[in-house]
Amino acid sequence: MSLEVKALYKNFDNISLFSDFNISFHEGTITCILGPSGCGKTTLLNIMGGIIEPDSGQLSGFNEKSVSYIFQDPRLLPWKTVKENIEFVLKREMPAEQRHKVAEQLIRLMELEDFAGYYPSRLSGGMRQRVSIARAFAYPSDLILMDEPLKGLDIKLKLNLVRMFSKMWQADKRTVIFVTHDIDEALLLGSDVVVLSRPPANIVLNRQIDLPFEKRLPDSGPLKEMKGSLMQALGN
Amino acid sequence: MKISFTGKQYISLASVLFMLLVWKILSLHFKSDFVLPSPEKTLITTLSLFTDGKFLATAGTTVSRGLIGFVISGILGIGAGILTGVNQYVNAFLRPILVTIRSIPVVSIILLALIWLHPGAVPVFIGMLTMFPFICTNVSDGIRSIDSELVVMATFYKVSRKRIVGELYIPAVMPFIVSGASSAMGIGWRAIIIGEVLSQPRYGIGTMMQNAQTFLNVDAVIAWTIIAVLISYLFEKSIRLAEKKFITWRA
Repeated sequence: MSLEVKALYKNFDNISLFSDFNISFHEGTITCILGPSGCGKTTLLNIMGGIIEPDSGQLSGFNEKSVSYIFQDPRLLPWKTVKENIEFVLKREMPAEQRHKVAEQLIRLMELEDFAGYYPSRLSGGMRQRVSIARAFAYPSDLILMDEPLKGLDIKLKLNLVRMFSKMWQADKRTVIFVTHDIDEALLLGSDVVVLSRPPANIVLNRQIDLPFEKRLPDSGPLKEMKGSLMQALGN
Repeated sequence: MKISFTGKQYISLASVLFMLLVWKILSLHFKSDFVLPSPEKTLITTLSLFTDGKFLATAGTTVSRGLIGFVISGILGIGAGILTGVNQYVNAFLRPILVTIRSIPVVSIILLALIWLHPGAVPVFIGMLTMFPFICTNVSDGIRSIDSELVVMATFYKVSRKRIVGELYIPAVMPFIVSGASSAMGIGWRAIIIGEVLSQPRYGIGTMMQNAQTFLNVDAVIAWTIIAVLISYLFEKSIRLAEKKFITWRA
């Protein structure tokens, strides 16, 4: 059972973002959709997540899945602590005792133990995004959608978040689809990288990265060559 | 940080002493208790009010008028605020009414209310009418300030409608209700006392002030004013305390 988007059409503000667009995803991998700003990446993600409706098209495999979403901004409730924010999405899914256990486990994995009782206003931007990632993994989902989760963070924080994200993903290999316009983000996280053109979108390039996360450093070794070809594809 | 804070407190204390000093100098200048009694004499009068047999009935009646007005305007204000917050047509309908209520001089409403209502009810009515717009506008602003992206997030994670209201909408609006209640109270006490001065109900701080003024008991007018300020301060303080206790999450 694979995830597929077939014959997708979507207009937005009189711009045809997608016109007979097709894409499929491998399960248990991290697919990165890379594209220039305004190419409709986030719209595609929201269509796959059921947040917005396509004008027409078929989505197959998405309906049966339980989905987590890591938004571009962390979207934490300001009046709930780190732990309460994670548990907020779990109440329907599991009994209290399990909820606490899951939240505590994710807090540990995301190295937030010292901040479990903090309100978001006391956390840095990177820490808030870590809570948002913890929330997505705590939620019992098969698929995780992410919208530029590392946007606005400096390279050190990015590498740190990638390290934590990969640690969590390796313990629990869910299907991840994420969109970004940042080549470094794609190179650091993606196992499949798909490059979209300007609208109406079509797939310009589709590459796999078979490198373990810990060997991924931007501007070094095999990634450097890959970066070149992605930049070229993005430029077209 | 701590030093500058105590430094600021010293300056505030100096400001109070400065006001007392100006008062003292003016009272020495006028040399007449009928114009401006000295601070010491006024303090004695204020303290003697507490031992007056009618003190509790007087202050208690004014306080209960304030509370009744506050509760009614709170219920109406929160209700109308929610409606205007969620529905732009209700908002378009209610905004001009609120602007009108806010712009009418309090005295005009009192003069009309005196014709329409029982004297004891006038201050409550005035209090209610002056407090209502603050609470209504604040609740409405609060609802409109709710971050729709948080609602999308909660809906995406299949959080129930009931919990979205209880754990997202209500906590988001709470600070707005508190700040509306606080400004409403501040303005409400003043309006209620003006109402009492003009409607002369049997008991009330305003009634006592008016009586004292008629007999040129300036010290009693000021003494009752001090009581009114204390009441207002106590309520303001308790709202702030409640805010601190219930809204702990703000930086």
